[in-house]
Amino acid sequence: MDYYFIIFAIMAVGAGIFTITVKDALPSALGLLTVFIALAALYLHLHAPLIAIFQVSIYAGAILVLVVFVIMLLITPDEELETTQKNVSYRAMGAILGAYLIALLAIGLKGISQLVAQKNLPEGFGHPKAIGMLFFKQYILHFEMASVLLLVALVAAIYLAKKNA
Amino acid sequence: MADWQIDLIKVVFIWVWALLIAVVMTWVERRASAMMQDRLGPNRAGPFGLLQPLADGIKLFTKEDIIPERARKILFILGPPLFALPAFSAYAVVPFGDKIVLGGKEIILQVSDVNIGFLYVLALGAIGVYGMVIGGWASNSKYSILGGLRATAQLISYEVPMGLALLTIVLLYGTFSLREIVLQQQGTFLGFLPNWGFFKQPLGFIIFMVAAYAEANRVPFDLPECESELVTGYHTEYGSMRLGLYLFGEYVNMGTLAAITVSLFFGGWGLPYVDMSRFLGPVSYGIASFFVFFLKQAFFLFLFVWVRWTVPRFRYDQLMGLGWKALIPLGLINLFITALLVQLTT
Repeated sequence: MDYYFIIFAIMAVGAGIFTITVKDALPSALGLLTVFIALAALYLHLHAPLIAIFQVSIYAGAILVLVVFVIMLLITPDEELETTQKNVSYRAMGAILGAYLIALLAIGLKGISQLVAQKNLPEGFGHPKAIGMLFFKQYILHFEMASVLLLVALVAAIYLAKKNA
Repeated sequence: MADWQIDLIKVVFIWVWALLIAVVMTWVERRASAMMQDRLGPNRAGPFGLLQPLADGIKLFTKEDIIPERARKILFILGPPLFALPAFSAYAVVPFGDKIVLGGKEIILQVSDVNIGFLYVLALGAIGVYGMVIGGWASNSKYSILGGLRATAQLISYEVPMGLALLTIVLLYGTFSLREIVLQQQGTFLGFLPNWGFFKQPLGFIIFMVAAYAEANRVPFDLPECESELVTGYHTEYGSMRLGLYLFGEYVNMGTLAAITVSLFFGGWGLPYVDMSRFLGPVSYGIASFFVFFLKQAFFLFLFVWVRWTVPRFRYDQLMGLGWKALIPLGLINLFITALLVQLTT
């Protein structure tokens, strides 16, 4: 039994359910924060400290802070969020999408059995250097594609902001 | 002694030490500001008023604990500890000395030398903002929410230049481990300058320092508190020890940032031009390196107070303008030049 994994997995799933069910905006965001931190703990368990730190500093430290910023701008503590989507066809589409994602996860689970079986990690696994090497040698195209995508988003955001100003 | 016992001692020691620094800092802050304004400051409790922090602590602990009626109770209670805890945890990677030999065993004076060193500090600094946000939101008061709102915007704006400044240090030393960075800063270069990050990255240091003041919510960037506009911002509704935790967390944060500044830009525990390990025994060398580190840290802690009474508070749009229009472009240019130089010289 891997207690470390079980504790943080339960924490992540529980906080995830809390995030989507609670009707207060800020506690919901804090639920998401808990999910991120639990995930980071799981990454640490998988000998990937760098990914764990990125999970905390980028997702919890930057993206979620932006989300919280918007929540504080638009909602006051006394307000509760409106009931969820009332349109039935939207709900059905959401259900289909959810089922699709769960199916994807189930397919992915096949790979996990291999991951668990591999006990001997390669030299320097999870070290920043090893990840950098992978990024700039093997996966350079994917890496650059991601940066171009972000650049496009940036240019688009500036364009939209200038149009309204 | 077993390894885990040594680790435990190190953890307890650094916690107590961080607490002690923060406690003394509250006294230093008040005495130094009094000195700068030609006043006396607290001088009644004990010699030079040194027991004043203790008296303040007793006062805060014994005061009535008030939770406003319309506050969100659970979040209100959760805020202060969430603010103070990350600040303490960041001390885990600070190399507060070189090494000490006790009973034939070499002990590194650092709780944990992880290879992601200061990324960990950055991540914890980012988590600390949630304490302010939760406090501001849970108080359910206009001033508090505005304070929390400002804290989030300020943190995001100044994380970027801070990261850019730190990236140049990574480029120079090729590692994230704080201990290795300090080790590489011993000795001299060009014949006479100490091998410190400050001399190799002066612009990076200035950007880091400005961003650090913004991260610690210190004057001139204390807009989340901003007494003249928001009463005291995100902790307006707090009292007793809950308020104490917020104020205390701020001092611990300052201690961490000063320690990081020393280890990244000012050679950590090393003295310039002098190799202490040559003429000191293994035990006394360990203690000496610890005190050298502490002295440097103390200087930067004092600088926080010094700047507070020298520079007036920024206006909010000036704060954002400085972050996005001055520091980020400067950081990018600095990063580019450093990368070019590193590429050309190695």
